[in-house]
Parts: sequence; structure tokens; C-alpha cells
Amino acid sequence: MFLLPAIFLVAMLNVFPLLINYMSTGTLTQKPVTVVNAPESFMRYVDDTLEAKAFNYNFMTITEYKEFSKDKNEVRKQLRKGMIICLFDSGDIAKSFDDEVRDYYDEVSLENTEAESNAVIYVGFDANSLTANTRAATFREAILEEYQDSLIDYLGGDYSVIGSSLFETDTFNPVTKFEDFRTVANKSASRVVSGVLMIMMYYSTYSLVIDMFASERDRGFMDKLILTPVSRKKIYTGKILAINVIVTFSSCVTLALLFLSSWLNRNNDAMSLLPFGMMLTPSELLIVLFSIPITALLMTAICVSMVFALKNIQEITVNLQLPLIYFLGDFFLQMFRGTRPTTMEYFIPVHNTLELISEAFMAQEKAWHVIIVYMLNLGIALAVLTTTFRKEEIK
Amino acid sequence: MIQLIDVHKSYSKDHETIKGVSFEVHEGQIFGLLGPNGAGKTTLMQMIATLMKPTSGQILIDGLSADKSLLEIHRKIGFLTNEIKLDPLSTPNALFDFFANLYDIPKDELRDRRDESFARFGISPFAEKRINELSTGMKQKISIAISLIHNPPVIIFDEPTNGLDILTSKQVTDYLKELRQKGHAIILSTHIFSVAEELCDDIAVLIDGSIVAQGNVNELIALAKANTFEEAFFKIYVENHKE
Repeated sequence: MFLLPAIFLVAMLNVFPLLINYMSTGTLTQKPVTVVNAPESFMRYVDDTLEAKAFNYNFMTITEYKEFSKDKNEVRKQLRKGMIICLFDSGDIAKSFDDEVRDYYDEVSLENTEAESNAVIYVGFDANSLTANTRAATFREAILEEYQDSLIDYLGGDYSVIGSSLFETDTFNPVTKFEDFRTVANKSASRVVSGVLMIMMYYSTYSLVIDMFASERDRGFMDKLILTPVSRKKIYTGKILAINVIVTFSSCVTLALLFLSSWLNRNNDAMSLLPFGMMLTPSELLIVLFSIPITALLMTAICVSMVFALKNIQEITVNLQLPLIYFLGDFFLQMFRGTRPTTMEYFIPVHNTLELISEAFMAQEKAWHVIIVYMLNLGIALAVLTTTFRKEEIK
Repeated sequence: MIQLIDVHKSYSKDHETIKGVSFEVHEGQIFGLLGPNGAGKTTLMQMIATLMKPTSGQILIDGLSADKSLLEIHRKIGFLTNEIKLDPLSTPNALFDFFANLYDIPKDELRDRRDESFARFGISPFAEKRINELSTGMKQKISIAISLIHNPPVIIFDEPTNGLDILTSKQVTDYLKELRQKGHAIILSTHIFSVAEELCDDIAVLIDGSIVAQGNVNELIALAKANTFEEAFFKIYVENHKE
């Protein structure tokens, strides 16, 4: 029996990546990289290099690829499922990719300063999927860059001996750069902030409910309060309001600290947890801020109803901790999922707040989503509280 | 002052915890509920204190029933059980102020009550100390002081001297006698014979949820044809307890 948690953990560790892959791509297995019009140099590189074997490859001729890409819907579907396409283009149908690169190096070795290569390697993937994004980035950095470096030895001829490295300069426009920063930062924030807020909110709510309801009842202090000439409803409502104010305040502080973390981050890399430049417009901020007390009320209602349904404080503590696992799971799934939420998800209480906050960060909020999330969560919270209080009065 | 008419309580369909209990407690009287653990004393006390509703029957406090005048009853009763533990991080002063607010006690009146009550139980030196820094006896005394902050005419004490040392126990019993003299109606539950014998004007023996005998100490000794009160209780218990 004592091995069960360990077995469960090992099973989860194996299932979780599959689940994330499924959430991101809709399939349980990783797709091979589809290489179109692969030159001889690349085939040799894949055969000779150990690192290149980290990926599986599905090689296609240009004719086969043209046939495949006729059905645009099928291409889109495959991309959504995590397909990565790597297409080698020499820029000239009559010339191979390798010949184009070789000619370029020949020109450079003759000190032709105007030498230009038309050879391009295109990497196609679904930019909305974090998994596809990560795989494509890894493929580019670990495989293609190494492959490009190897080309100079394989095709460079004289240039490989006498050549020098080239470099590029970039221009910097503060206004457009800021927009770029915000786009990158908010995209990452939409995956992280909502989950962090939900976990923080639930943790504060459950701690306060344990302290203000379960512990007070356990030590008999609640009875002392109930026996004062103040109605039970007023006592419970006062406690719930106090919990709501504290949770809302602490969540707002958490949100402010997350913004601060982003603005103190010197990195705007999409892979950074909270990249530099996170920002919300006033309306987006209001959507996030209003969703906090409403969701906190729903969480409080659920916790309070559980406290009244159970007697033993240890039992209550364990049962109130269980939803933390759900919130952690929801947080990680949100972090790695590549698909947009389905309409049904806006009808799942509490989870819908997570999606709404993410939406606000992505600047994709819709009025009906806001209305549904607010009304549904508030309605359920009030219904649960009313039923719980009524049951308490009957005892 | 306290009137119970055929009170029943059951938590499940096949088991009744309280079976048709009826009695009356008058002003200036201490009524004792004596019974072994599990007899239903706490359930009965909680029902009188309005913390629980009877399944059937009626409980009246000064002629008022909890169904219609719950908050009015709360102004008339003081309930104390040794199970009540005060907020460990509060001070006696803060708790006194907090409960005074809930009972709408005016500030100048509160000052007098606090002085009188703190002086009686020797709480004053600890008035600004946190509850978790105080002894069990002191906590119980603070709990009594707070329970009676509104000077209720009806006092319900569930096992009032349980877990207390001899000195604190004596202080509590003396205080109960004083309250009786002032005309308060007091009902207390206990399983300690000496407490019942010393304090109670009328004692009801509760066994398995029913009152099997009632009267003052001498009447109960005569009823059981025993020599002592303790012997009388055991005789009554053996006769009435169903295995």
C-alpha cells in the first residue's frame, strides 16, 4: 500500500507529457519532421551526426510535397497536430540546393563582395502551439544551425580555408519594439499569470476558511458567536466578506508582483516565464480585477459548504487540499496547451476564470465570455451559500 | 424560566438520543442533569441553548420558543461548556470588547462589568496577555466572564468544572451559588456527584436519553433506598440502564 503514491507519481510523470502533447497537438505521439527536397548534404549530415537522430524524418520530393499541399485543409490539420515542415529551396528549379550554396562559396572565395545566395531553408509549423514552437526552435538551433555550419567544410572549397565570418546589423525602433515586447510578454503571461492567480486565490481562500470556519467550530468558538443576538446568516456573511476582501487584496498584490517581475526581467525571450513588457489595457485590467472577487466568492462558497458537510477538522483539511491538485493540473495544462479553449470551457466554474484571464492577456476577450464567466460563477456561489446556510438553520 | 415539554432528538431513524424529556427550571434554582458519558446530557444542553433543534417537543426560555424568537432568547441565555476554546491570539480585553459589541452593551456599562468580572476571577493582571499564554483555569474563567457578559437570567453550564483545578473549581461553584441568590435560573450538566450534591436544588438522572428519576438529593437517596447519593445514583443506573 505504501508504494501506491510512488507508483501513482511515476505513472503521472509518464502520462503528463503525453497529455500535454495531446492538449497541444491533438495527438498522443510526436510527428516526424517532414523534410522536402532534402539535398545530399543534409542526407549525409543526418546519417553522420548523432544529434540529428533526435528527430525522426519523413523525406518528400518536391513533387510529392506539391501533391500533398494541394489539400490546404489537410495541411492545416497536420500542422495543428504538430507537423513540422522543413523545405530546402535553391531559388532556381534547375539548380540543386547544394549547387547554389557551393556557387555562393566559390564567389565569396573569389572575393566577390556582391556575392549572394538564393538558397533558403523554410521551417513551417503551427505558431499557436507552444509544443510545435519549441520543437521547431530546437530543430532550428540543434539541427539546422549545426548543418549550416557543416556546409562550409562540405561545400566551401577554398572559402573554407580563406573565408571569414559574416555578420548582420539590426535596426531598433523603440515604438514598434515596445509593441513586440508586449506581444511576446503577454503571450507568455496568458499561460502563466492566470494559473498562478488561481492557485494563490484558492490557497488563501482555503486557509482562511479553515481558520475562520473549521477551526472556530472545532474549538467551540463558533457556538459562542452563534449564541450572540446576531443571526447566523449575518455572522457567516461577515466572515465570507472578510475572506473575500483578504483574498482579493492578496491576489491583487500577487498580480502587481507578477507585473513587477516582468518589468524587472531583462529578457524578452518567448521561452522566459514572464518576459519583459507585460502590460494590460485598462479594460483588460478591469476584466481581470473583477474576476478575482467573484471567483474568490465561488471558492469560498465551495470550501464553506465542505466545512459544514464534514465534521472532523483533519477530514476537512484533507478534502480542502484536494482541489489544489486540480488547480496545479489546470495551471500546467494551461501553460503547455496550444489549442484555444472550447466554448464549453467557459461553462466550467472556476476554470472559466482561468481562461478569461488568459484571454485578457492575449487581448482576445469577448463580451459574452465575460458575462458568462461572471454570471455563472456568481450565481453558483450564491446558490451554494444559500443552500448551505439553509441546511445549517435546519439543524 | 426554562421549560422542556416532551423533547425528543434523533440523529438517525433507528436511534433516539433523547426520549421524551420534560422538566422545568425556575428563577433562583440550580437544576442538575446527572448522567454517565453518552447519556445525552450535551445534546440536551445544546438543544436548550438553541444550538440544535429537537426532533419533536418544545423548549421554552422565559416563555419564548427558538422558532419564533431566537435572537431574543440569545439575549436571555449564557452558555458555557468546557469544550469552548477562545481565540488563542486574542487578549481577554479584546474578547470582552468584541462580545460586548455583539450584545450592544454601552461603553460605560461595559467598563463596570469588565472591572467587576475581571476582579472576581483575578483576570485583571492578564487582561492584555494572549489567550495561548494563559493557564487552562484562567482560560475557563475568561470564558465564563465572556459568557455572562450580558448578565443573562438563564445560565446553561455543560460540565462547568471539568478539567479545572480544585481552586478554580471552588471559585466557579461559589460563583454559581451567588448567581442563584441573585435569581438566575441555572441548569448544569455533570457526571461528578459532589458537584451535583453541593450545588443542585433539583437533580434529574439522565440515562440512555431518558430522565429516570428526579428530585433533590434526599429525595433521590430515599427513592433508591440508599445510604449515600453516590449509592443512590448507581442503584438507579443499574435498574434503568439497558445493555
